[in-house]
Amino acid sequence: MSVLQFGVELYYLVMALVLFFLTLRREPKAAADHRLAFTLSALGLVVALLCLTQQGELFFRSYRVDLFSQIFKLALALGLFLVLAISRSLPSIAERNHAEFYLFLTTCTIGMMMLVSSVELLTIYVSLELSSYSLYILVPLRRGDDIDVEAGIKYLFFGAVSSCFMLFGLSYIFGATHSTYLTDILARMPELVASPIGVVGLILAMAGFFFKLSIFPFHFWAPDVYQGGAHQVVTFIATASKAAAVALLIRLAVLGAQYGYHFTQILVFLSIISMTLGNLVAIIQKDFKRMLAYSSIAHAGYVLIGVLTLQETGLASSIYYALAYLVMNFTVFMVLTQVAQDGRDLKIAELAGLYHRSPLLSMSLILGIFALAGVPPSIGFTGKLFLFTSAMNQGYFWLVLIGAVNGTLSLYFYLRVVYAAYFVEAKLPPIQLSPPMRALNYALCATILYFGVAPNSIMELARAAVRAVL
Amino acid sequence: MLLSPVVGIAILLCLKEEQRFLIRAVALVAAGISFALSIYTFAGYDKELGGIQFVEKYDWVQAFGISYFVGVEGMNAPLLLLTGIVIFTGVLTMWELQHRVKEYFIFQLALVTGVFGVFMSYDLFFFFLFYEIAVVPMYVLILVWGSTRRIYAAMKLTLYLMAGSGLIIPGILLLYSSSGLFTFDMLKLHGVPFSPWIQNIAFVLLFLGFGVLAAVWPFHTWSPVGHVAAPTAVSMLHAGVLMKLGSFAILRVAMYLCPLGFQYWAQFMALLAAIGIVYGVFVGLAQTDLKYVIGYSSVSHMGIVSLGLATGTVDGLNGAVFQMFAHGVMTALFFSAVGFIYDRTHTREIHELGGFSRIMPVASAFFITAALCGAGVPGMASFWAELLVLVAAVKVFPLRGLLAIAALVVGALFALRVVQTTFYNEPNPKFAHFEDVSPFLGLPRMILIGFLVFFGIFPQYMLGLIKTSIVPFIQGL
Repeated sequence: MSVLQFGVELYYLVMALVLFFLTLRREPKAAADHRLAFTLSALGLVVALLCLTQQGELFFRSYRVDLFSQIFKLALALGLFLVLAISRSLPSIAERNHAEFYLFLTTCTIGMMMLVSSVELLTIYVSLELSSYSLYILVPLRRGDDIDVEAGIKYLFFGAVSSCFMLFGLSYIFGATHSTYLTDILARMPELVASPIGVVGLILAMAGFFFKLSIFPFHFWAPDVYQGGAHQVVTFIATASKAAAVALLIRLAVLGAQYGYHFTQILVFLSIISMTLGNLVAIIQKDFKRMLAYSSIAHAGYVLIGVLTLQETGLASSIYYALAYLVMNFTVFMVLTQVAQDGRDLKIAELAGLYHRSPLLSMSLILGIFALAGVPPSIGFTGKLFLFTSAMNQGYFWLVLIGAVNGTLSLYFYLRVVYAAYFVEAKLPPIQLSPPMRALNYALCATILYFGVAPNSIMELARAAVRAVL
Repeated sequence: MLLSPVVGIAILLCLKEEQRFLIRAVALVAAGISFALSIYTFAGYDKELGGIQFVEKYDWVQAFGISYFVGVEGMNAPLLLLTGIVIFTGVLTMWELQHRVKEYFIFQLALVTGVFGVFMSYDLFFFFLFYEIAVVPMYVLILVWGSTRRIYAAMKLTLYLMAGSGLIIPGILLLYSSSGLFTFDMLKLHGVPFSPWIQNIAFVLLFLGFGVLAAVWPFHTWSPVGHVAAPTAVSMLHAGVLMKLGSFAILRVAMYLCPLGFQYWAQFMALLAAIGIVYGVFVGLAQTDLKYVIGYSSVSHMGIVSLGLATGTVDGLNGAVFQMFAHGVMTALFFSAVGFIYDRTHTREIHELGGFSRIMPVASAFFITAALCGAGVPGMASFWAELLVLVAAVKVFPLRGLLAIAALVVGALFALRVVQTTFYNEPNPKFAHFEDVSPFLGLPRMILIGFLVFFGIFPQYMLGLIKTSIVPFIQGL
């Protein structure tokens, strides 16, 4: 066993330790803490990048380091880095809790990094809980009225319930196959095709990740948590944690490949309901974050389209879309935190006049929103088309038709955001952006456009990663 | 051709809003280069050789067999020329714009990039990508720089067109996946004998999806509203070029890839087209706003294009493509004339304008020329186009063809009445002090008229070119 293969996780463990010592200080030094945490996360990004091509198995084969896991680790490192980049001022979190905020974000990242490498049921469960518990603490950190408490409790309860489902499912799988190793289970799955226990167990086991991804029927927490949590925490939940969930969904779904029709039919059903429900309910939302919550439910449905094809290009499209979603959703959240600099909740109508207040932010917003809506030439459009193409190759005509119609539905509420930002006049002071923030804006816009026009490199990487899983 | 608007956008992004003149100059140069290139491809296309020329092809995404594949043939060369003409004159027309100039030209050039891309692409994926790029900037263009009921119009237009896309995606992907070739290359897909039921489903999905943009009745309702709300150059682009994307796509994708599906649905297509022609003429008559008049006349003229396509004969298709070109130039002229009048008088009501030709003889002359062209007067490009389509249509669908002819005759009659009340009645004293079109602002309109008359007198230049691709196309069906 080589320690270096565990390098990324070790690095973040050290980072968590450093941050832990920061939390012990009596007198908070918010600015210095942020600088340190931010620098460490930037270093972490470099470490993750260096470890991209590592391969190997650790801890009695329960932990696999391959291209698939390393890509997602890189994405998670990127997610943490980006979230910390917009956490310079944390108005909605009490100053003495800032260090804790950094600490728990880091532990959550560690948990999810372990999650994407786990290939054994118990390891998966432990890693999942490690990341979840950090988030349970982070959600109610927001100060102010009781809305954060409501959000925190909701998140905890729904999380606990879906964990129960998941454990129950895992016990089925273990009972039927006498193994907790995914490779062994995969080998024994064909024997179970005749009995439904495997498919029930698998679907229940996936519940934990349905919850993270806010797929129907585990989506109820999303609107309240999005609205009630601090912007930065929600950003993390909405970007990094979704990417990790997609990774695990792919790992588990592959187990069901033998089941064919029944297994995928359930996923098709969940996907359709999630898309349609998310998009329809989003139309009537007035709060920006609530709207994004419903849109995330819809996007979870889209990602599921790729997962349920259970074949190389489909899964690769899912990875592509998960990464794209991380970037575009973050872009929108970044704009949100910058506009609501005092940490208040933002109504869509309050974006009014953004065009005059900050042209750069409004450009990022319009690109992010168009990417979410699937308008070319953005990563969102390309990703969605890949998903649809691979689904159509497997013969899911109706699924694609419904997905495409959903795209039209969603355009309505996305355009309302653009409308508010660009065309409603408001007499509000301009928003000043610091130079690093401006650079971040440009980088995000460039990423959205560049990888939308030239997706081949990412797609080939994703395919190589999927081959490691299949 | 594709590159120059993109470069233009990039340069514009770097400029400041204050540098108005520079912004306009950059936009004009970008548009001018595309214009020149489109003329070059039109004139430089080798008719003897035929087939696809000026080909560029690169692999793009191997996983899905997508490649960047563009080229020019007889079918799309006239439309590229049309786009070049309209964008160049469009930029000139908007020379007087004062409000958010930079963004305006950015979005307009983005739109044109999409349009060029659609006309040139031979790869379904890129075809659709460019199609969407062409459609989406409309929302912003109408919303910011539009007029009457712009919020409603912009949202309606975008949702209609996106709903169309919602049908197109499954249609395209159905063909892609059932071909078993894992390629988006249209030429390769054309060789695949799809089973009849797949063709029937895919054709109707594609026809309805693209038909929304081609303003096929009953999916036309977004179009007059959109025309009215859009600023002048956008109306020009929109009615002149964008609607052609829809009918071109029906020809290039739906008919080309699903010949059996086309035969199955041809009757239905012709029926919708004939209804569209009659409906457009009669509703247009009842309008008092000049832009609505043009908007509905577009619906009926686009009906002629669809009717030509539905015949599936060499003459019909020839006429349809020619009509796309002629109507594009003509509508651009229409909107550009109306836009000029509206900028001065702030009204487009026919009765208020009464006797306008005594105040602005030149501006009125532009409008009247367009109206004559719309009525199909010999010597104008659209005369030949309509003639070809109607002759072909009467042969294939006698009843619907005759109905269309009758409607057009009535339409011509009433178009002349509109001209008469607008321009030859007693002048409205309110507007007496306005000056006429300056030579510089008259230039774009003169270019448009020049093309209309040139191809009206020498239609064989255009028809000979179109034929080089239509004849093999029909054989392929």
